Amino acid sequence: MQGSRFWGQGDSESEEEEEEVESEQGSDSEDDVVHGAGGRGVQNRYLKTQEDDSDESDSGHRVIRSLRDKRNEEMRSIVDQMRNAMKINDWVSLQESFEKLNKHLEKVVRVNESTEIPKMYIKALVLLEDFLAEAFANKDAKRKMSSSNSKALNVMKQKLKKNNKQYEEQIQKCREHPESFEDEAAGKGEDEDDEDEDSDAEIEDPEKIVTSESEADAEDEGDNDGWIQNKSKKDKMLDKQFLKDPSEITWDIVDKKLKEIVASRGKKGTGRIERVEQLTFLTRVAKTPAQKLEILFHVISAQFDVNPSLLGHMPVNVWKKCVNNMLLVLDILQQYPNIVVDTSLEPDEKETQKGADFNGTIHVTGDLVAFLERLDTEFFKTLQCSDPYTKDYVQRLREEPLFLVVAQNVQDYLERVGNLKAAAKVALRRVELVYYKPQEVYDSMRKLAEQPEDSVEEGDAETGDEHQAMDANRGPPPFVVIPEVVPRKPTFPESGRALMDGLMSLIYKYGDERTKARAMLCDIYHHAISDEFSVARDLLLMSHLQDGVQLMDISSQILFNRVMAQLGLCAFRAGLINEAHGCLTELYSTGRVKELLAQGVQQSRYHEKTPEQERLERRRQMPYHMHINLELLEATHLICAMLIEVPNMAASTYDKRRPMSKTFRRLLEVSERQTFVGPPENVRDHVMAATRALNKGDHQKAFSVISSLEIWKLLRNREHVLEMLKLKIKEEALRTYLFSYSSCYESLSLNQLTTMFDLSEQHAHSIVSKMMMHEELHASWDQPTKCIVFHSVDQTRLQGLLFQMADKLSVLVESNERAYEARTGGTLEGVPPRRRGDGQDSSNLGKWQDNFVSSQGRQGGGNRSGYAGRGGGGQGGGYQRDRGNQGSRGGYSGGSRFQDGRGRNQSGSSARGGDGGARMVSLNRAGRV
Amino acid sequence: MAEHDLTARLAPHLDRHLVFPLLEFLQERGLYPEEEIVAAKLRLLGGTNMVDYAMAMHRSLHGTDEAPADMVARRAEVVDRLVALQTGPALPLYAFLRDPHLVQLLRPDKQYNVHMLQEGFQIGPDQIEALYDDAKFQFECGSYSDAAAYLYQYRVLSTNSERSVRALWGMLASEILNRNWDAALEELNRLKEIIDSKNFSSPLNQLQSRIWLMHWSLFIFFNHENGRNGIIDLFFQDRYLNAIQTNAHHLLRYLAVAVVVNKRRRNMLKELTKVIQQEQHSYKDPITEFLECLYVNYDFDGAQQKLMECDQVISNDPFLGKRIAVGNSITVPLRDEFFENARLFIFETVCRIHRCIDISVLAEKLNMRYSEAELWIMNLVKSLKLDAKIDSVSGTLIMRVNRVDVHEEIIESLKNLSTRTHMLAQSIVEPAQAAQQAAQGD
Repeated sequence: MQGSRFWGQGDSESEEEEEEVESEQGSDSEDDVVHGAGGRGVQNRYLKTQEDDSDESDSGHRVIRSLRDKRNEEMRSIVDQMRNAMKINDWVSLQESFEKLNKHLEKVVRVNESTEIPKMYIKALVLLEDFLAEAFANKDAKRKMSSSNSKALNVMKQKLKKNNKQYEEQIQKCREHPESFEDEAAGKGEDEDDEDEDSDAEIEDPEKIVTSESEADAEDEGDNDGWIQNKSKKDKMLDKQFLKDPSEITWDIVDKKLKEIVASRGKKGTGRIERVEQLTFLTRVAKTPAQKLEILFHVISAQFDVNPSLLGHMPVNVWKKCVNNMLLVLDILQQYPNIVVDTSLEPDEKETQKGADFNGTIHVTGDLVAFLERLDTEFFKTLQCSDPYTKDYVQRLREEPLFLVVAQNVQDYLERVGNLKAAAKVALRRVELVYYKPQEVYDSMRKLAEQPEDSVEEGDAETGDEHQAMDANRGPPPFVVIPEVVPRKPTFPESGRALMDGLMSLIYKYGDERTKARAMLCDIYHHAISDEFSVARDLLLMSHLQDGVQLMDISSQILFNRVMAQLGLCAFRAGLINEAHGCLTELYSTGRVKELLAQGVQQSRYHEKTPEQERLERRRQMPYHMHINLELLEATHLICAMLIEVPNMAASTYDKRRPMSKTFRRLLEVSERQTFVGPPENVRDHVMAATRALNKGDHQKAFSVISSLEIWKLLRNREHVLEMLKLKIKEEALRTYLFSYSSCYESLSLNQLTTMFDLSEQHAHSIVSKMMMHEELHASWDQPTKCIVFHSVDQTRLQGLLFQMADKLSVLVESNERAYEARTGGTLEGVPPRRRGDGQDSSNLGKWQDNFVSSQGRQGGGNRSGYAGRGGGGQGGGYQRDRGNQGSRGGYSGGSRFQDGRGRNQSGSSARGGDGGARMVSLNRAGRV
Repeated sequence: MAEHDLTARLAPHLDRHLVFPLLEFLQERGLYPEEEIVAAKLRLLGGTNMVDYAMAMHRSLHGTDEAPADMVARRAEVVDRLVALQTGPALPLYAFLRDPHLVQLLRPDKQYNVHMLQEGFQIGPDQIEALYDDAKFQFECGSYSDAAAYLYQYRVLSTNSERSVRALWGMLASEILNRNWDAALEELNRLKEIIDSKNFSSPLNQLQSRIWLMHWSLFIFFNHENGRNGIIDLFFQDRYLNAIQTNAHHLLRYLAVAVVVNKRRRNMLKELTKVIQQEQHSYKDPITEFLECLYVNYDFDGAQQKLMECDQVISNDPFLGKRIAVGNSITVPLRDEFFENARLFIFETVCRIHRCIDISVLAEKLNMRYSEAELWIMNLVKSLKLDAKIDSVSGTLIMRVNRVDVHEEIIESLKNLSTRTHMLAQSIVEPAQAAQQAAQGD
């Protein structure tokens, strides 16, 4: 209020002042929009204090009222204040109140979610006008006024004149029927509900405005309030020339006006919403379809301009209107196939003058794809910004089919005109809305889209209204009538897969590189959530996406990370523990999983983010409904790590083998350091507790701890997964037991093992046999008695150390040799062939070399022993660790990328496990063939 | 047993004419109703010029003497073409080629040949192209040797590389159908070179060509004497293995059989099991499952069971189940070999993880009678240096556990190191000394 007082008393240069006020209001409204639904509460409180400030007379009793009521109430109190000021002829405070009133008007209108002007306001205007006229008429009184008062009077006069122009019609009406206004002003709050429903339609419907326009006041009486409000609008939207008879409006006039409006873009003092409205009106009076199309394009881009900031999003109702405009555009394009939309050539000045019956092609500048993409982005942003736990969010989500309709139609159109590249882009947008939906969600979306119109969305209802209006023929129709030719409802095939496949084939054929890559990722994601692991895996490996992720843009990298996460979950559900671990381990190796998946911001302890970075990050966030459950993901990762790591630890008590999962080891160390172990609370605690149990071979406890996790109920086939998990735990418990305690046994009967671990005889036999074959267990079967006979091959500590020494020495020699080779360029002759470990030795070696390599920081060097020789040194990049006999496929560890692209990249990013490498390499070629 | 029949999956990658032998085999085996096969054959013939044969087939299928009108019309057309062939544009060329003296005028230089023919005999490119068309026609008529001969000559004369490749395919098919395996193998290698070296218009094309090549090669490899090595060599090449994994998973069966049967390529087994494991979602049949049971799960009972199923699969496979009549009995040589080797695999693996095993159990696993098994094992003990003894009283086989002594192991690994270090030192010191001496000499 400080501001307004300042202005009020300041000077009389009303022009400038007006502008300032307006822009202030503009920014005010933007802020509000940004806060959206979530911010309403805050705003409310803010208002409250404002009210207290300004309104001394308010006794401060607090009754809980709806926001709308409160606003109306406030307005009324301002009007009362004005009345008081009139009585004492205090122009200064009157002016102040008037400004306050104007400001308040915005808010009231917004709260009512309509553009209608409250009658109370009109009434106040009338009152003020009368009073002003009176004051000027009474020269004596005027002369007696104080200087500040008379100054205020003058200012007031000018302002009122300007202001009232907007509401001329209503004021007129009010003067004619003061009594109706009286009533309604009082009972305003009650009426509001009925009115705001059609209010949207009103703006949308410039036809009605035209009607009221051309037929003056003749039939106004019969109409409801909506008309009045429309007429007040029209002032803003129209120039005098459009008040003429429609037949007098020529193409030139419309074109000139259009240019004028377009030129006003970004200038001070042009309201963004106003521009949209003006342009919308122009579409009604457009003379040719091409012109209408051109104007529509401007409308759409003006609508996109409504929200200027990158962070905020477009207001929802504007978005909806924009969608409708897009449909209208498509209608025109379908109706008049000779109109071509392109951006390539500069169209002729008079291009759009050619009428509907013109035979040649008409070029109109515009980019449907860009509009569509923007539309999608805005939709995405709304979801990003709104609170997922509110009803608004759900409501917004329900509008998704609306967008899908447009996308579908645009795609159809582009395919029809043969612009398949663009069609592929649009297809990608559709894919991105569908790919993360499992069949159930997809089905419900389909059902929603197929519901009858009235219950679905306002958008449809609106168009229905429009129809009615036309049928009733209440006024002259717009010059160019476009029937609805484009379907207004999306059509979905039965299954999400079918839809995806259809879109995919289009994209693969015509898309550019990025589109293809993204589509491929979406496809893999979709396969993964529909439990088709092998398909998803093959797609990923064949496409080589993991080789090039680093070079992709950040949002694609996030998508890639999401794909890896889903792939891991999918592998886990299918019981492929190693694969699942391979997919997930990289995501968790940094501890920034939230950031990697763009599901929330993680505070890093070690470095502060600049606000700039933070803002960027926030813009990348996934909307809530696309999130992957982090707890489930963590549980999956840790359980996989547990199943791999526990037997691995048991197998290597002497030599510290390279851990399979460093993250897991670290967590385990932390939990072992605790003096007191409480009951498990979070996912991590649960898995640690299970690990402790599994370490002792207690598979029952391990399983019961794991299965007590809450998250399992999120899984579709929960029983199945738990059953699988149980089996895996038993298996690993058996392995762990054998590793740990085999030295204590001379022989062990199979029977005993089966009872201990509750496994079938065959299964246990198979597991033990596998261990024997891989020389993890030094034992053999005694078939007649069905027992395992252990060979005592335990090395003493000294022997073990000797082995390690030998290994390290051989590495040393080898590096010497390599150094020699590098120096002389020749190879040593007569050197015995180097050992190519593909058994257990390599893991020993691997560890050593790992240190060796990373300490040097370079990773050249072709054929180190223990490395998968197939890829050779050509693979470069990370080291290829031979996972030995596990047969695991480390191949995926294409791994997550840091989404912030700060260039810190982990060395393992391109690592491929040796064994998996075979597959990888081979598939590499397949792609290259 | 029809569920393991691959004909339907193989056929799309084969030439129309090449499918014919497969159908004949199926007919012989009686896996499908006779009529269905005859009908399929008839459809197959529809695209060829072997109209007379088709008519006969039609007669036998429908039991009528009347041939359908379209067949009659087609016959007339073919006969016309045949007559035209005698007077066709390529006639001077034939005359030229028939004369051995003239043929000697040809040289390896194609440009020269073209020039020479044009100058001396008025044989232009049109005639040469007509040769190709005629060869194609002959091929469609079923006279494959003629087709092969024409195509050979065409390849010598033609300068059109696109068409020569196609001629090569035609020659391969003709040689296969003529059962001329040596020549066919030659063509195969030539074609392979072209496929691998040529920059194909699209990778997809190249992949497809490879898959075709592999399918066609099956005819050769399972008939040629050296084919078993050949198939392993070809299929295990990275590019071809990829092709299998991408689009022709069913070829794994043939690869698996080839590896099992081939004693010298035992080392490929590991790689093969890896591939089979990766592709188990896309393809499995008793043969691959057998290997999976044995080498992935170590499930001997399962392996035994699968082995039994393999019998049928192999006998019913057109490539694997080739029969040879020896005296009165008919044997399937490949099947017998497969079984022998599979048995050996099982036995080896069992022996590796057992210290003591009952021979009767072993016999059961090997699908043998007790006495047979004992004899078999005895032979193995003798020949293969199997480190085991038969305890005949208790009926068990006792393996001797051979452990490498820890000390020996350590010494071995260190010995290796010392030689290597020595070598290194020497190769460093020697040049240095030489340089020193050279310096002193100066």
